[in-house]
Parts: sequence; structure tokens; C-alpha cells
Amino acid sequence: MKILVAIKRVADPDNANKVKPTADKVDTTGLEWKPNPFDEYALETALRLTENGKNNKVRQGEVVVVTIGNKDTETQLRSALATGADRAIRVEAEDTDLDGRLVAAALKSVVDAEKPDLVLLGKQVVDGDSNSVGQMLAQLLDYPMATFAATIQEEADGRLLVGREVDGGVLSLRLTTPAIITVDLRVVAPTSVYSKHTDAGFKYSDGVRFAALPAIMKAKKKPLDVKALADLAPGKTNGSSYFRFEAPPARAAGVKVPDVATLVNKLATEAKAL
Amino acid sequence: MYTLAWERPNGAHRRSMKKVASQAMGLGLKWLGDVSGAEWLDRYGLRERATQVVERGARAGFRTVQDAGRRFSPLMKLAAPSRLPKPKEPPALFDLTLTDEQQMTCEMLRRFAEDVIRPAAREADDACSTPASLLEASTELGLLEMALPEALGGAGAERSPTTSILALEELAFGDLGVALALYAPLSVVNLLVDFGTQVQQERYLSPLAGAGYVPLALAVTEPTAGFDPWQLRTQATRSGEGWLLSGEKRLVPLGGSAELFVVAARTEAGTPALFLVERTAEGLTVAADPCMGARAADLSLLKLDEVRVTDEARLGGDAGLQAYEALISRAQVGWAAMAVGASRAVLEYVIPYCNERIAFGEPITNRQSVAFAIADIALEIDGMRLLTQRAASRAERHEDFRREAYLAALQAGEKGMQIGSQGVQLLGGHGFTKEHPVELWYRHLRAISLCHGTLYV
Repeated sequence: MKILVAIKRVADPDNANKVKPTADKVDTTGLEWKPNPFDEYALETALRLTENGKNNKVRQGEVVVVTIGNKDTETQLRSALATGADRAIRVEAEDTDLDGRLVAAALKSVVDAEKPDLVLLGKQVVDGDSNSVGQMLAQLLDYPMATFAATIQEEADGRLLVGREVDGGVLSLRLTTPAIITVDLRVVAPTSVYSKHTDAGFKYSDGVRFAALPAIMKAKKKPLDVKALADLAPGKTNGSSYFRFEAPPARAAGVKVPDVATLVNKLATEAKAL
Repeated sequence: MYTLAWERPNGAHRRSMKKVASQAMGLGLKWLGDVSGAEWLDRYGLRERATQVVERGARAGFRTVQDAGRRFSPLMKLAAPSRLPKPKEPPALFDLTLTDEQQMTCEMLRRFAEDVIRPAAREADDACSTPASLLEASTELGLLEMALPEALGGAGAERSPTTSILALEELAFGDLGVALALYAPLSVVNLLVDFGTQVQQERYLSPLAGAGYVPLALAVTEPTAGFDPWQLRTQATRSGEGWLLSGEKRLVPLGGSAELFVVAARTEAGTPALFLVERTAEGLTVAADPCMGARAADLSLLKLDEVRVTDEARLGGDAGLQAYEALISRAQVGWAAMAVGASRAVLEYVIPYCNERIAFGEPITNRQSVAFAIADIALEIDGMRLLTQRAASRAERHEDFRREAYLAALQAGEKGMQIGSQGVQLLGGHGFTKEHPVELWYRHLRAISLCHGTLYV
């Protein structure tokens, strides 16, 4: 199976308290960058789908990672290559010039050129939290889509059985390829993803895998292509712009109540929750 | 009031403090005038020279007066601002920019430290050993593969002490004891790669590739007061074709499990040498010796009672002294790097703690005594790291780095200890409890200057 994984770098969410909004933009000075966690889960999913879990050094298929960003974002691509991806593509653009529509249009061109069997994305990016690119891309490509995937199983005929956790249970979808899947947190649990090469019952270690040192050293030798945004999304422009950022209001201090009766009374009269 | 000898009798003018400066200048001029008029200058042929000096002195003396009245005006036209060019070749100082590979290695090991080492650290400390599952999991990182040359089944392309100290910092950021358990075997491998003879490499290195975690350890420190690695008490005596080793070693990592010890001993010539002693050697006994810190590394006491080894067991053969010298310095660099990692653990713990800890109605970081203490920790860590990186960088460039290594270890030992103690202090009573890991790091940081020769970066 050939899988395309879209990756975006984001400011380390642990650094977020340092972010200072200044009018129409966020001050990114001194921030540390890392891949969007959900995109890392998408990459881990892609690797699990293209290997036999018992011998994860041999790739049964191809994993291509793509990002849209400036030269610095190649760091995240190299990490993905060190973790096991085969090739990388960077589309040159500044993040501030992008919106979901433009990203989806550019990704569509990449998919048209690469013709993967599966496109994997994180369910959302933890900076903008738009949760839109996967869905827009599926619309543009007219591919079957499963969002918020928690489990994926490749069946013998190549179809993908996807479990989505919804209120009150699990919704199962069977997708024919080529398809688009956006993944949720639980997709990296030990028994969430099985390729047709991996034995049922095999257990992965929880979470995303570590890049081994020899693979890190070899990552630079793997191909990384750079493409221009204008070539991939001709005539398309950024349709939305940020006009104001505000820090969330400080939380008011809580109130201590002496007994349950007062609590119930306050919930009823002040919070109007009862 | 100043009364000066050369004032005119009628010059009883009043002086303000502003005039003190011009008085001083006047005093200088008076002296200069006296000098230039002196006859002895002609006598010694010094006239011309002295006049120049006098003129210069007068010019300098008057400068402040002239400056006040100077009018700036351009004397030439520039096409653009003029700057001095940058040096064509950057100076051959050590470069602090990590390569992409080093950066990725750090990120990966940091995640391993946080996700795998940290959660196991407390239990490993209590049990005085690192859990086998963690040791096995670490083999997937490929640290051993990178240490072994391709000819021995590894994937190593170069020996980089800088990459080693970066790795050690991250591992010790997770837990210093576990880091020592993980790195002790690699140290033996590095030493054998650098100095091992062909036979030694074949015997001890060729079975390692793909074998998982194999415990190997270095044994240098001895239970003597103020141990000096150049005054070993463990004796190596010639006996027939081989050697007899007798003595005691302390603070030996992985004592309970190591299959091979590299033991430092003093030969009859008075020089130290390293001997490869297999666990099964007759006369070798190992006893657990739990210490204050670094307990996860299973520190042990090693007794050698006329342990017989062949001449082939002398590490590096005739290059043994060189190997020992390198070991002592490289261990210092390694421990300094671990001190940086453990200190960083303290720093990254106390910042959120002190920001969240409310006393007297506000976070305690609002108190200068707390904020300054944290800032000092950060500053010291940067200093420690720079010293360590300088030493590693010189080692990597095959330059003499003994002095740099010693200074790095000295600074790391002293400052690391202070940082550990300060970390406990910043947590107040909490710092003393096992509820928080800072007391553990404090204990680790006391080990820095004690465990000689246990690492080889």
C-alpha cells in the first residue's frame, strides 16, 4: 500500500503560555516547534499499515510525508523520514499565508501526482484547531472518508475497516481505496492498527515509535522534494485572514462552600445549573 | 578647598567642584612644563622624546575641552554604510550548532527520557536496578548499533564524543541512575572500539550486534579516601605469560549483572593499565553496594583476589596507558554531561512548581529569593554545558582535552550539587519527601565527582 501522510509543524503546546498575541498576529519568537501530535499519530498509523509488526524494519509499501511550510519545517520532515517514512515533499509557503482551503487544494495536487492508496491526516492541528483539511480534501478528490479514526484494520481484499468512537459506541466504516482517513488519539494504542501482514493479536508498544539512531543518520539520504505552492494550487489565494487575537480571560477564583445544602442552593440560584 | 603651589598670589578665586577637573589638568601641565624645561633631558639626550610625550600629554589633557566645542561635519561621501568584512573562514572555535542528526537524536532521546525512563526511575532507585524491560526497550534506539563499526555488525559511521554527551544529557534528564545503567556497556564498547586489539574486538564486540542489552562495566574507583585515579592500589603483577590482579573496586555499575569488567590496575612499572576480566574469572567476587544516588545502575563492590588473566586481557596491549588516560578524561566529560541533564531535570521541575505554589496569596516565584535562585540554576547549567561541550569538541577534534575535561567535571560536580540542593530547597518541605523526584535528583547529583572512570564518551 502507498500512503501519503500530511504533517504540519506547530508551536509546542507546552510553550503556549508564552505566546503573546499582538493585535492581528501571534508572537512566535522563541517558540519550540514540533510536529502536530495528531499528524505524528497519522505517521505511526501509516507505518503500522505498511509493515509486519514483528519485523518493522521492512516496509511493505511506501510512506510519503508532505508538509506545507518554510525551510525550517524540513526538520519535521527529516524526523518523519528517520521514523520510517520513505520520501518527503515540502511545499514552500509561510504558514501565515495559508488557510484550510488552500492547504486542501495544494494537497489535492500532491495526491493527483503521487496517486496514493490512502491519505492519512491528523484529525486536526493543535494550533488552529480548524478540523477542516481532511474533509475538504475528500470533497475535492471525491474519495471515501473516515474521520476521527480510532482503529484501522486492513482486510485481505485491501479494504479498510475503520472504527470511529462516537457517543454511545463505535461506528464501523468499511472503506474502499483510494480513501482518506483522519486519525484520533487512540489510533496509536497497542492493538488499534493492523496491516494485512501483521498477525492478529500482535501488540505494538503504546504511542508513536522512537526513531532509531541509525535511521536518524540515514534520514538525510532519503529524498526530500520541494515544490512551489503556486504550481500546486494555481490561482488559489488565502481566503481568510486573522484580524484579532486575544488571550483567554483569566479564570475567576472558585468559591468554597461550607456544606452540601449551600452547594445545592448556589447551583440552583447562582449557577442556574439545577 | 584646594591650595596649590603655582597659583598666583592674587588667584584667591573660589573654586567649585566643577573646577576640580581643570585643576587636575593644570597640575599635569605644570608638571609637563617642568619636565620639558629640565636641563637633565639634554644631558641624557632625551629632549626630543620628552617633548613628544609632553605634547601628547597636553593633547590628551585638553581633549575634553575641545570635544565640548567640536562641530561634526562630513569629510567624505559614502555610497553605503561601511562595515568591516566578516572573517572568511569562521574561527576554529567549537561550534555550538547541532547537526540535524544530533538535533533529532536529542529530541528522540528526550522523548525516551520523558516517556520511558522517568516513569520507571523511582522504582529503579528503590530496587537498585533498572528494569529489564526498560533495558530491552532501549536497544531499539540503536545506541549500540551506532557505537559499533560496520565491520562488527554495527551501523556506526563515526566516533563523536559530542553526540555522546548530548545523548548522555538527555538520558540523565530522564534519570541519572538509569542513564548510567544504559551507558555503562556503551562505554566499554567505545573503549574497545578505540583501543581494543583485534583479538579483543573479535572476542568481546563481535557477539554484541543484535544481541539486545548486554551488561558490561568499567571498574576504576577504589574504596580509598580521596581516590586518585593515578594512584591505584589494585595491583597487576606479572605471572608467567599473564597477570595476577588483586585489589578492590567500588562504585562499579551493573555489578550484579555485568558479564565483563574492565578493571584498572597498577602494573609493577607503576603505570596504570586496563584489564578485561570476565565475570566467571576465579578470584573475582561482586557484592551489591547500594549508595546514595545512581542506585538504578546497581553500584557494586568488586573484589579481586589474585585473579589470573592472560596477557591478551590487557586492553589495548601496549597502548594501555593511552587508553587509561583517555578513559579518565572521557569519564569526566561524560559525568559532566550527566550532571547537566540531571540539573536540567531540576530546573524544569522547579519552574512550574514555583509558579503554581501559592504562599502569602501569590506564586512564590513573585519572591525575588525564589526567582533569583531559579535564574541562577539556569545560568549555571548553561555554564556547565558550555564547559562540557568545549571538552567534548576538543576530544572530537583529537586535541588535548584533559584540562577542559577536568574543569568541566569540577564545575559540574560543584554546581550540580548546589543545584540539587537548591532544587530541594525551592520545594520547601515537599523537596524532602519522596512525593517529588527532586530529592532523587539531589542524591544523583552528589555522585558526579565520585564515580571516576565509569563512562567513556
